[in-house]
Amino acid sequence: MQELLPNLMRRLPEFWKACGDTLLMEVWAGAIVFVFGLIFGIILTVTKPGGIMQNTGIYQVLDKIINLFRSIPFIILLTALMPLSRFIMGTAIYVRGVIVPLVFGATPFFSRQIESALAQTDKGLVEAALSMGSSPMEVIFRVYLRESLAPIIRAITITIISLLGLTAMAGAVGAGGLGDFAIRYGHDRNMIDITWVVVIVLVLGVSLVQWLGEYFARKNTH
Amino acid sequence: MIELLNVSKHFGVDIHAVNDVSLTINNGDIYGIIGFSGAGKSTLVRCINLLERPDSGQVIIDGVDMMKLKPQELYKARTKIGMIFQQFNLMPSRTVLGNIAYPLKNMTREQIHSRVKDLLSLVEIPDKINAYPSELSGGQKQRVAIARALANDPNILLCDEATSALDPQTTGSILQLLKDLNKKLGLTIVVITHEMEVVKQICRKAAVMDAGKIIESGDVFEIFSNPKHQVTKNFVRTTSNLSKIETLIRDDSPMVKLKPGELMARLVYIHADVSEPLISYASRTFDIEINIILADVEIVAGAMVGGTVVIFNGPRDRINKAIEYYKSKDIRVEVIADAGITA
Repeated sequence: MQELLPNLMRRLPEFWKACGDTLLMEVWAGAIVFVFGLIFGIILTVTKPGGIMQNTGIYQVLDKIINLFRSIPFIILLTALMPLSRFIMGTAIYVRGVIVPLVFGATPFFSRQIESALAQTDKGLVEAALSMGSSPMEVIFRVYLRESLAPIIRAITITIISLLGLTAMAGAVGAGGLGDFAIRYGHDRNMIDITWVVVIVLVLGVSLVQWLGEYFARKNTH
Repeated sequence: MIELLNVSKHFGVDIHAVNDVSLTINNGDIYGIIGFSGAGKSTLVRCINLLERPDSGQVIIDGVDMMKLKPQELYKARTKIGMIFQQFNLMPSRTVLGNIAYPLKNMTREQIHSRVKDLLSLVEIPDKINAYPSELSGGQKQRVAIARALANDPNILLCDEATSALDPQTTGSILQLLKDLNKKLGLTIVVITHEMEVVKQICRKAAVMDAGKIIESGDVFEIFSNPKHQVTKNFVRTTSNLSKIETLIRDDSPMVKLKPGELMARLVYIHADVSEPLISYASRTFDIEINIILADVEIVAGAMVGGTVVIFNGPRDRINKAIEYYKSKDIRVEVIADAGITA
């Protein structure tokens, strides 16, 4: 080990901390993105023209805001949201400081994913539920969310993985994490073994998430 | 009783899906609404449970003005109006039990289970309770959908092209089931279809729809035996063999080649009573040959409808007398081809 990965073995504690930081960012930002993205995705679905709570005003505003944030490159979002981060989290650095930009970066993406997952729900099911006396709220929870569980799980999988990509960039504002670790040592100091190990860890992480996602999605398909 | 009064529904500016339709459907009736696709019949049936809210007009069910209900009241009212669909619309993530239990509320697990069991035996598939919809045939899916629609003991069942995705044999068995349910539960059934066969098999009354309007309505027997509007005639013709004569003539078939002096006519029975030996009586009485080319008599709403295509052969005055005789018997005589009088 020492010979194969000389640079990494000398920085093991730092490596574990980087792994932990990445996980921390992923979990915190992921949880918040999940809640907001789900809500926005549902709102988009039900308020769009022909939706069960059609509301052109709400739909247009939300639709445009999501497009706006989706078109801002994350690296710009990271710096632009520093004041907001300071206001909400009390700091604009470390893991705490990067949660806000991560949420702003991934929520629009996840909202769109949810929107397209819910769009796969057969319109006939919604109509059948309404004909049985379901209220719009019931249709959301008992038809839309229940019947598109598999595509929603796939949307979560994709979002977790894309969020992982964003956390790597978060190193730019001193948030730490694996991306930052790989850039500082692997790239800046040409420690090839560190780059490789980080890549392998990320590949394993992505594969695990993908596999779990596919497993649960399949389990919920009949 | 379902009353639609001057109901109109527009999509966009110039699409009049339903245009000033008034309709009354009595309790316990099986009422057919037939029309070609795009006639507006699906929109019309959705105006009954307000899945489509009419732009104008009134929808009154058992004296209640549906359009005036508050949302919560409307949801409750809808539980008493079952609906089934062409594509069944069962929820694929739920079992048969889960699907039928969907509209059941305020019941314990045991109550739900026994209610679902009762409903499944009502629709004659008692052993499918734990199956997923993907494991069922089309006919079984529609039976589950019917059970689900009946879960809250509705008074009305709306069927939107409910048999259009099924093969003829399954269609027959589903229609029979609907007929039984109508009898057993006193259910009022509204059947939307583009197939005249369906109306013929189960409906007592029907309305024909075209371009958003009802162009003809009344007893099914009346519509079949004596269609007034061209669209209705086209529908009736789709189910009758008698229309094949036009194809034979167009194809110049030797079967319909007339010799001089012969006359080909379509005799259509308008009366419910066709038990008299009309052909042989006329042939003997007026001493002419009557050759039956095609015959088609069907049972519609419990009465006979149909007719024959015949070729008359004989002296023209006697043929005319036979035709007079038929007319006096309330038989419609349409001359299709005439080879002229023998020289």
